[in-house]
Amino acid sequence: MIRVENICSYYGEFQSLHDVSLEVKAGHTVIIVGSNGAGKTTILKSICGLVHPRSGAVYFEDKRIDQYHAHQLVDLGITMVPEGGRLFPKLTVDDNLKIGAYNKNARIHFHESLEKVHSLFPILKERAKQEAGLLSGGERQMVAIARSLMACPKLIMLDEPSLGLAPKVVSSVFEFIRRLKESNYSVLLVEQNANKALEVADYGYLIESGKLIFEGKKEDFDKNPFIKKAYLGL
Amino acid sequence: MKNIFGSKANILIGLVALAILLIPVFVKSQYVIHIITLIFIWGLIATAWSYMGRFGLVSLGNGAFMGIGAYVSVLLFNNSHLSPWIGMVVGGIAAVIIVGFLGYACFRSGVVGDYFGLVTLALAEVTALAIVALREWTAGELGTSVISLGTTSLWYLQSDQKLLFFYIAFVFMAGGLYLWKIIDDSKMKRALAAIGENETAAAALGINVVKYKMLITMISAFVTAIGGSLYAQYITYINPHTVSGVAISLSIPFKAIIGGMFTMLGPVIGSGIIVILEEFFRIVVGAEFVSISQIIFGVALISLIIFLPKGLYGTLKERRESKIDKQRKRAFREKSME
Amino acid sequence: MALVNGILLGGVLALLGFGMNLMFGVVKIIHMAYGQFVMLGVYLIYTFYTLLHFPLLLSCAVVVLVMAVVGLITQRFIVSPLLSSNRLNQLLALAGLILIVENFALFAWGADYITIQLNLPIIQFGDLFIRTSFLMGFIGALIVLGLLYLFLKKTYVGLAIRSATQDMEMAKLMGIKPASIYYITLALGSALTGVVASFFVPIYAVYPQFGGSFTVSAFIIVVLGGMGNLMGGFISAFIIGIVTSVVAVVTTTEIAQIVVLVLFIAIMIVRPQGLLGEVS
Repeated sequence: MIRVENICSYYGEFQSLHDVSLEVKAGHTVIIVGSNGAGKTTILKSICGLVHPRSGAVYFEDKRIDQYHAHQLVDLGITMVPEGGRLFPKLTVDDNLKIGAYNKNARIHFHESLEKVHSLFPILKERAKQEAGLLSGGERQMVAIARSLMACPKLIMLDEPSLGLAPKVVSSVFEFIRRLKESNYSVLLVEQNANKALEVADYGYLIESGKLIFEGKKEDFDKNPFIKKAYLGL
Repeated sequence: MKNIFGSKANILIGLVALAILLIPVFVKSQYVIHIITLIFIWGLIATAWSYMGRFGLVSLGNGAFMGIGAYVSVLLFNNSHLSPWIGMVVGGIAAVIIVGFLGYACFRSGVVGDYFGLVTLALAEVTALAIVALREWTAGELGTSVISLGTTSLWYLQSDQKLLFFYIAFVFMAGGLYLWKIIDDSKMKRALAAIGENETAAAALGINVVKYKMLITMISAFVTAIGGSLYAQYITYINPHTVSGVAISLSIPFKAIIGGMFTMLGPVIGSGIIVILEEFFRIVVGAEFVSISQIIFGVALISLIIFLPKGLYGTLKERRESKIDKQRKRAFREKSME
Repeated sequence: MALVNGILLGGVLALLGFGMNLMFGVVKIIHMAYGQFVMLGVYLIYTFYTLLHFPLLLSCAVVVLVMAVVGLITQRFIVSPLLSSNRLNQLLALAGLILIVENFALFAWGADYITIQLNLPIIQFGDLFIRTSFLMGFIGALIVLGLLYLFLKKTYVGLAIRSATQDMEMAKLMGIKPASIYYITLALGSALTGVVASFFVPIYAVYPQFGGSFTVSAFIIVVLGGMGNLMGGFISAFIIGIVTSVVAVVTTTEIAQIVVLVLFIAIMIVRPQGLLGEVS
């Protein structure tokens, strides 16, 4: 569904990605792991249109999208939940959800989406009128994921959703991701917490210094002792 | 190596200066001399602005200092027969005192960036309004003229011969450029560069942020005031909107950045471009339609900003430097492949 | 008495503050020629009403639309090319607009003062004499502000604008097209100058340099209230209106303006982020 082929992305003159290729099949959950600064976020940004790769290509359902702008890709069904969720701090929870459904397609299905989101995350109803900036970390992450669901996406990308959260909350975040998987969304997940991430994933990629150095299913990661030691901390 | 280049540059500068000094020998047109004199004066003022501007201290109110310098020296001369040479120093000191108080208050309470720009803009407007309000002394909106002595006098800086001002303005402008160079080589410059890049970090390193900001602002104000006095003596007529106020204050950074405010010669070149451009449109469109020429001038200014964001000189310099950079990189790559 | 006038004036100034704050919040520009736009608006109303004999209300409505178009043109040719430029360049380019607009007015309508004679009654409330023109402007401004508030709170576009103010990058990820939002903002901000012009018609005589002091007032209102803060702008508009009015009665208009500016500088020094602004 999403195919990334040999992209090289830059921040100014600094080359962040070197010939990275990956694939997310429809309905699959794929993870990208690697240490800090490895370029994981850049990959997500290159897919959702916030960064344009200088070479290589990105395909969404066989349509080439790498030079599209972010707002156009939302219409196609690609959403991203950035690190920390990045809710609009002065808008209420309700308003954040509402703006999540800004694109034309999503607005038509607004009420369905809202119901679905409320059933997935019942606490949103309680906090509906609260200002987003005042929520706790875990609540913010929930709203952020809910907001991306409001856009009726086909692909949901999540950048380090467990970052800075308490262990109990981290578990519930991964529980949501599992639920997303069960609801047949395609998910591309970036995580430092490789262990937990690999448990929900169909496939994984390991990035280091902007280069793809390993890929495979969970068993492949488990079978490789070097990878296990260096990146999974086992 | 460095010394040879040093003296080479000095010789070049000397030749250029000589060439400029000899212009009146070859060019007899009083009009051209007039234009060049104006370029010198504005060049001085624009350079003074860039003393501050290049470090991120963007003042939108240097018209205040120009106005203070102009009015103080003219009024002192008209009323007390004081030589403008002394008058311009008094004006400069007045400007320094005012900016000293304001600057100290601003810098101590962390008024930076946009806010600083708007505070200086407010200062410029206050100055213009004050000049108008003090109409008993300044004749308000009507403006004041320098009382003519009827003869050429160096002491009183008056002459019907443009030539006197040509050379004096040149000397002052050269002085302003030399001051730029002195600042550039000084410890103050490094401190200000650090402050400009990251004020908190600079403070953490022990740099006295307030002191250096005050210093450069006061220098800028002083030189600008002198420029104002010079302008007043040359044009012999001033009013609150030609030497102070918002419009003039905004035109000063314009001149500096159109040339390229991070270079020494940029502001002078920018002044040249703008003065000539304004005159050009005025002539082309004709005197009856001054407003149309100003409209075209405005369009030209906006276009320059859009297409030459680093100014003319700055853009050329940047292109030259990136070309040298590329050559260097290529040479390095070729060498490392051997 | 002066207090009442100040409040009434403050209402109209609040519109200016709103427009400036909106443009700053969304597009992050400081519109250096905002007062000049108002001046243009008044001249245009005069043209439609006095010279072309349109009915007055229609003239005002048309001018609001015309100013919106002027805003779109400004966005297309001046703001858009400079979006990634540094702040000073943006400022100076918009300042260039001052030259163009003022001289256009000079060329089109000459340097003389122009008024539109509307003999409106003066209402008496006990000891207070209130000019209907001031009252109309005040009430009209409050109505418009109310409508704008509803627009921002209740409509999708308004919501999009609010999100864009807070986090433009995330707004893009919601599907909001930045260019559209910028155009809407500039159009709205400029349309507001048409509205203010309409309220100014029965109050002021217009001349080419008329806009200058309003541009400065608009800055002061916006910075005093905290840049981008709509409520702050609202409050400081009234403060400015009252101070100007009261001081002008005691001294002269110039001194009133000086006092406002000095007050502004003083508040900036004490609280650089403005009254309701956030410390960055």
